[in-house]
Amino acid sequence: MPGYLRATVTVLLGLLMLAGAVSAGNYMDLQDEIQEFTLDNGIHFMVLERHDVPVFSFRTYVNVGSVNEVTGITGIAHILEHMAFKGTDYIATTGYKKERKAMEAEDNAFYALRDELNKGHDADPAVLEQLRADFEAAKDVAREFVVSNEFGQLVENNGGNGMNASTGADATNYFYNMPSNRLELWAYLEGTRMSKPVFREFYTEKDGPVTEERRMRTDNSPFGMLMEQFLNMAFSAHPYHHSTIGYMSDIESISRQDCIDFYDKWYIGNNFTVAVVGDVELKEVKRLAKKYFSDVPGPGKLPVIETVEPVQKGEKRIVVMDDTQPIIMAGYHKGGMSHPDDAVYDAIADIAGQGRTSRLHTKLVKEDKLCVAAGCFSGFPGNKYPNLMLVYAIPSKDVSTAEVEAALYAEFDKLVADGVTEEELAGVKKRTKANFIRSLGGNQGMAGQLCAYQALTGDWRDMFKTVEKIEAVTVEDVKRVAAEIFVTSNRTVAIVETEEEE
Amino acid sequence: MTKVMQKVLLLLLVVAVTLTVAQPADAGRKMPWTKFKYPMLGEIAMPDYTRVELDNGMVLYLAEDHEFPTIGLSAKIMVGSIYEPAEKVGLAGITGEVLRSGGTKSWDGDEIDLMLESMGASVETWIGGNTGGAWLSALTEDSDMALKILAEIMTAPRFAEDKIDLSITQHKAGISRRNDEPSSIARREMTKILLGEDHPIARVEEYDTIGSITRDDLVNFHSQYFHPDRMHLIVVGDFDSDTMVAKIEAAFAGWEKSTTPLPNDPMIPNFPRTVNIAAKEGLTQSQILLGHKGIKADHPKYAHIIVANKILGGGFSSRLFNEVRSKRGLAYSTWSSSGTGFRNAGNFMAGVGTKCETTEEAITVVLGEIERMTTELVSQEELDSAKDGILNSEVFSFDTKREVLDRMVTYEMYGYPDDFLQVYQQQVRETTVEDVLAATQELWKPDRLSILAVGDPELFDGDLGTFGMVNDIDITIPEPKLTLDIPTATDELMAAGQAIMTAGYEAMGGKKIGGMDGYFGEMSLDLEIQGMALTFGVEKTIVYPNHMKLAQKTPFGNMVQALDGDVAWADTPGGIVDIEGDDIQSLLEEIEKDFYTVLRNRGDISCQAIDQAEVDGVLCDRVYVTGIGKDFILYCFDAETHLLVMEQTKGADMVTGAPVVAKTMYSDYAVFDGIQVAKSIVILHDDEQFAAGAVKKFERNPKIEAGFFSKP
Repeated sequence: MPGYLRATVTVLLGLLMLAGAVSAGNYMDLQDEIQEFTLDNGIHFMVLERHDVPVFSFRTYVNVGSVNEVTGITGIAHILEHMAFKGTDYIATTGYKKERKAMEAEDNAFYALRDELNKGHDADPAVLEQLRADFEAAKDVAREFVVSNEFGQLVENNGGNGMNASTGADATNYFYNMPSNRLELWAYLEGTRMSKPVFREFYTEKDGPVTEERRMRTDNSPFGMLMEQFLNMAFSAHPYHHSTIGYMSDIESISRQDCIDFYDKWYIGNNFTVAVVGDVELKEVKRLAKKYFSDVPGPGKLPVIETVEPVQKGEKRIVVMDDTQPIIMAGYHKGGMSHPDDAVYDAIADIAGQGRTSRLHTKLVKEDKLCVAAGCFSGFPGNKYPNLMLVYAIPSKDVSTAEVEAALYAEFDKLVADGVTEEELAGVKKRTKANFIRSLGGNQGMAGQLCAYQALTGDWRDMFKTVEKIEAVTVEDVKRVAAEIFVTSNRTVAIVETEEEE
Repeated sequence: MTKVMQKVLLLLLVVAVTLTVAQPADAGRKMPWTKFKYPMLGEIAMPDYTRVELDNGMVLYLAEDHEFPTIGLSAKIMVGSIYEPAEKVGLAGITGEVLRSGGTKSWDGDEIDLMLESMGASVETWIGGNTGGAWLSALTEDSDMALKILAEIMTAPRFAEDKIDLSITQHKAGISRRNDEPSSIARREMTKILLGEDHPIARVEEYDTIGSITRDDLVNFHSQYFHPDRMHLIVVGDFDSDTMVAKIEAAFAGWEKSTTPLPNDPMIPNFPRTVNIAAKEGLTQSQILLGHKGIKADHPKYAHIIVANKILGGGFSSRLFNEVRSKRGLAYSTWSSSGTGFRNAGNFMAGVGTKCETTEEAITVVLGEIERMTTELVSQEELDSAKDGILNSEVFSFDTKREVLDRMVTYEMYGYPDDFLQVYQQQVRETTVEDVLAATQELWKPDRLSILAVGDPELFDGDLGTFGMVNDIDITIPEPKLTLDIPTATDELMAAGQAIMTAGYEAMGGKKIGGMDGYFGEMSLDLEIQGMALTFGVEKTIVYPNHMKLAQKTPFGNMVQALDGDVAWADTPGGIVDIEGDDIQSLLEEIEKDFYTVLRNRGDISCQAIDQAEVDGVLCDRVYVTGIGKDFILYCFDAETHLLVMEQTKGADMVTGAPVVAKTMYSDYAVFDGIQVAKSIVILHDDEQFAAGAVKKFERNPKIEAGFFSKP
């Protein structure tokens, strides 16, 4: 840009930063309005009253994710999430006593089939066919007792909106929004599905929607496929190494009892955090929580993941040949969210790879036109344990992956050698503040953040320290941490190369 | 807040309270949740808003909200890819991107990025199918600057060439990736099936349509469609309304109203059923869509069809969800959409993703459920449950101020009454099971539903022939055909281009060409069209600058076209007709594009040298010529003899009219009246031989009888 314009912009930026310093808002006062209580079983509730619109949002945060799975049951946290929509001993059944017997028969038919399948090549096709027919028949019997989708219907017909759930490496989240006069119905539905869930339609759900989800997100998606390969390689010991959706063979062999065992182990009161934000009153939330959430077992002892990923000794690579367009992913091991440099990681990810002025975008996309997209983010696949700084790039048409890869590394080498400028760091700080203020507005987002901070750091107030923490980061910190993580031997690379057609 | 809106919201809340009391009574079951009593829903503190129309026609909706020190602004503009020309598909989208990335009169794009990012603010622009818009989000302390940036982006964009190039590169990469995700293949192909592939909303950008987009196109598109009287602005946040209006007025000062009306939207016909398979190897899951044309929101059965759709495929309570997903476990997701639109009719559609081996089964189930909706009354329970679901959840359509105002703007833009929502809600409440059946019988036609399955047909459980004649959709991405990668012109390259052209001029005849008044040429041309070998005779007479006669003898009859100064005519087997308008211009272009004319006029034409290359085994000097008509010509001259070896232009396929790369190869030169003439000509379309010709006669300065060019 011409010299005089650069000067104008710099002056302007200076003024903007000054203005920012003067008129810091009163948004921090919001934390005085957040109220909390804990039930005897350990479930921690947070309530923020907002009475302008007669609706509320909630978040049920269960501090369990695919990281808590072991080989053989990968994908089970996600399957359990699906099962939490299947009802209780009252909801979605015409009569639980009889249904339970039918489900037992269903389980036994599944075990018989699974045992025969496990014989592999020695399995008898005729026996298999019979066992399959028996299994289908048992499912049909059990289905007779099911009131299909009653849980979802109750929520929807009472005005519930945005009902969904998500399972990640670190946590399982359940959420929706409701008109505020339905608070008791909500407490009943949510409390009973967490304390007395019935995993009905287990095999239909697992072999249908869950399996189809894996096909859609992983087997038929070049990004998903590469992501799974990448994770498998990046973590050799730590359970972050398998993807949340799980391996197909594990999904196929998991039984309802496996799911019940996983639930018993992890869905206990002190592993729950619930936030309710909107047109509600603390007193009423407390009363209803006690009434409907107290049957969740707990408190109890939670297993701890002791495995620590060993220090990586050399670069790991995989190249996948596929008929889709090329993709590059690279990951660098780094500390988890309790690491003192957590905010420094965020600053590095922001400066290097987020937004239009990030270094990767500016150099690789804008200037050299090597990529259509390039960026990075901190905290993959989760944040709770030491994880990865993930870098990705999508090469432009006719640009080789080798050229793009070299350009990516050149940017990180520069970051290590020269660090970042004060201006770049000031930008990160302002963006963090603005994003934080914006995040306070929505009920659902607020509920989600309160839960995540409470569960992961033990205190939701840490959420309000976001700005303070990033303000403390210095250019020296960035340079020091960059030199620690952007090392070739600390890197895992996964690439899709386009297969030449014959 | 208008009275009407307040009434709507109150009514809505009352409904939420009254209707949901009805629960399916199931004898013998314990249903603890049915005993809950729901208190009256608390009153909404209605957003106070101000509607202001500025002198330049811009309409503002402002709502103050001082809870957080932020402002949010969103603009809606009457612009979209619906208005872009067919040969420039992608223009609207690229304009929407470069509007923001390409800078403004005061700042370049990178400076804007830097300013916004350092404020933690964002300004984005976009142009979609039917509308375009912008949004802004900033801290109050930065809102003046952010508004100023937004206003300049909308009114005085710079459209910097490098950002256009970047956007074009990204779109080209997007084209190369468009078959990676099966669901996007399904959406794209289904839109073509339902709207017709020439409909502006269904058209798909290709390397060639993207490649032909120039900065002028963006500038023109922007100046044609971006005007204050076509824009609605919604502002919500921490500001004082009067001050904000004044600031907006100042920021957009001098922006001119539109002078011409918007074109009408193209009609969408009711297509009959087609059954389509888009094959993609390696997929284990099929994406299936079924659909036909829907209705506009002003249709009298609008509310009834929304209720019907809720029952069919709207969420967890729906028939599709229960039948396809829960009972049969066929899918992760299945849904239907009512196919209603505020501006135009939407598409009534149902979708399911299932494993390839159950493709036909899933289609049969979905078709069966739609059919059942049109033949049987739904149950009272289903109806009540659907109405509850619709009405109760509408409170969330109004849970932010922006949403309320956005809805008001939609009504205003497309001419719906203020109380549209109120009437609609009332109709939903009053809908009966008979209304649902009457609506589905009128508006859903199962035998007209087109079907698309994207997957691996090798794995399908049937060939789908049971649903109708199957049409295989080829999703192969067409390679770029008509564009050349030309380096940026420099003075040196332009001078070198002139030198090559002059060398060619001298070698081909020099002053004999420069000094001639015109010529007559006769050739015979052998070509093959749809398997038929045909011979044409062609006679061409040119008298510079603007007389030409083309006579063609064909197996189907003879044809003459003539340009007589500024008038033109044709003698066809059907009689003598006048040639008018643009067609006269294209005849004149025939003269201007004639190789000898180009050689004569070379000094006035943009001729850029590009790299030497081998053509048919001959090392050639290549010249890229532009400015004659809208397309380029590429000439390749033998580097030693300087005679023309090849000429490349845009051509059209004889049968389909589709654009092709037309190459004409010249060889077997002989001298006629001091001029070099290639006696052998071969024409290639997309590198396949299309015709071969032999020159029989060439006369310099032919004798022209009086009246030779005149209309008989």
